[in-house]
Amino acid sequence: MPGMPRDPEDDEGKVVRPFAFFRAGARADARAAQRPILVFDGVYKYFREDQPTLKDVYLEVERGEFAFITGPSGAGKSTLLQLVYRKHTVDQGRILFCGRDIARLTDKSIPFLRRNLGIVFQDFKVIPHWTVFENVAVALEILAMPRRLVRSRVAEALERVGLAGRGQERTESLSGGEQQRVAVARAIVTEPALILADEPTGNLDPHLAIDILTLFEEINDTGTTVLFATHDHSLIASRDHRIISIDEGRVIEARTGLRSWGTTGVHAAVG
Amino acid sequence: MVARARRGLREELRLYLVAVTSLSVAFLCVGGALLATTNLSAAAERWGESGRLSVYLRDGARPEDVTQLRMVLEGLPEVASVQSLSSEDARGMFLEQSEVSSDLASLPAEVFPPSLEVAIAEGTPIQRVDAISERVGRFRAVSDVETYRSFFDRLGSLVTAGTNLAIVIGLLVLLCVFAVIGNTIRLAVARRRNEIEVMKLCGATDNFVRGPFVLEGTFQGAMSAVLAVLALGVLFTTVRGSIDASLAELMGTRAVFLPAWMLFAIIAAGAIAGAAGSALSLRRYLTV
Repeated sequence: MPGMPRDPEDDEGKVVRPFAFFRAGARADARAAQRPILVFDGVYKYFREDQPTLKDVYLEVERGEFAFITGPSGAGKSTLLQLVYRKHTVDQGRILFCGRDIARLTDKSIPFLRRNLGIVFQDFKVIPHWTVFENVAVALEILAMPRRLVRSRVAEALERVGLAGRGQERTESLSGGEQQRVAVARAIVTEPALILADEPTGNLDPHLAIDILTLFEEINDTGTTVLFATHDHSLIASRDHRIISIDEGRVIEARTGLRSWGTTGVHAAVG
Repeated sequence: MVARARRGLREELRLYLVAVTSLSVAFLCVGGALLATTNLSAAAERWGESGRLSVYLRDGARPEDVTQLRMVLEGLPEVASVQSLSSEDARGMFLEQSEVSSDLASLPAEVFPPSLEVAIAEGTPIQRVDAISERVGRFRAVSDVETYRSFFDRLGSLVTAGTNLAIVIGLLVLLCVFAVIGNTIRLAVARRRNEIEVMKLCGATDNFVRGPFVLEGTFQGAMSAVLAVLALGVLFTTVRGSIDASLAELMGTRAVFLPAWMLFAIIAAGAIAGAAGSALSLRRYLTV
């Protein structure tokens, strides 16, 4: 694809050691800062042999961007995100995250990829019998961060999501919106480069959905890239972010939000 | 990792208590088998050390030949003592030591040959005893020499069978530990699948996830073995008084408990089996 960033290590035929530079103490590649943070390059994903879930997906996500991923149920929104955090592997094509082909990661490298991602789900995926603090701190404990630093970072994250001082409450005692805030705090506490939100407002009422969307926008304002999958048309219509629409496995892109597009075909694709 | 394992044990306390109880019973079986084998082995060793020969004399053996034979025997460094037993003495001992019917009691003294009862010094190798027996058998006054070798062979076979039985029971118990701990951990994992999924999605390595579960399995295995050893100790102390007297009369030995190294080995085997059982049962849950 013309203009696609190229992975120099691929060209040289060397063994790719993915995400080594994300590990503590390793140096970042200065050239990586010039590239889009995420690139889909001719990606195909099949769950059934005769019917690809994703077909020939080309997509670039710039650093610091906020993008909606939308489309009808079963269109492939979640699959697109799952390929990024390597729940599944692409069948064809490649996905470059910070210039590295994540499809070629070994199983042992996947945890290091995920440590650079924040993932938020529709069903929150919080542990109900753990405290709010424990639910957020787990992401830092995985990084073997010192206890004192964990405490301060968790407190900071909880403050950002509006749950300051509630660390000792059991998560099951919180409302749905608050539980999702805990999940967001867990996603941002490690200060990841990219946040993948897979229908994070799907279980929330419209008012709370706007709150959570605003929270993601605030996180995006600090420079974190956010991919926000939703099929909620009203949510998308309320903002002017880039829209990546998927239908029958194909991507129809819109560089700006619905408000700027009036009554074009993107409306139809999204709706 | 220890903190997470502690939390896991606390959260699944009831489940783990059931598993530890079942495993303790299994370990008690293996401990019991080992205890029986240890005592049999001790008796065999004790009897092997206190070897003896019965040198049966021919009817009408000349007294000077018997005296010469006795002198030769007493001159051997491996012989601790030699005692002469006449036909009358042998009959008396037979009637005293055996509960016989009146028919047998009426047997004449001639049926019991006179003998020299030879006590062999402790630590004498069995080959040397055989050599002495062979040499003594060549004397004119001797009709037969009894080394009790077949009895020791049978006792040795019994100890070997007991040891093999203990090994088989031990292997079965290890399998049982594997299965019970594996299933317990599998149950705990199924209940804590969300935790594992969350940790994996946050970038936890397999070892990070596996660590606390393996620790929990190790603890379960070791704790079960410790409880079994304690129970075995209590049982042994309780019944020792009543079996000691019988054992001393029957076999000339006292009941002994398992040596310290064997107790540690049982506990270590429990811990290792617990760790391995956990690690194996977790494998398929780690793919997220």
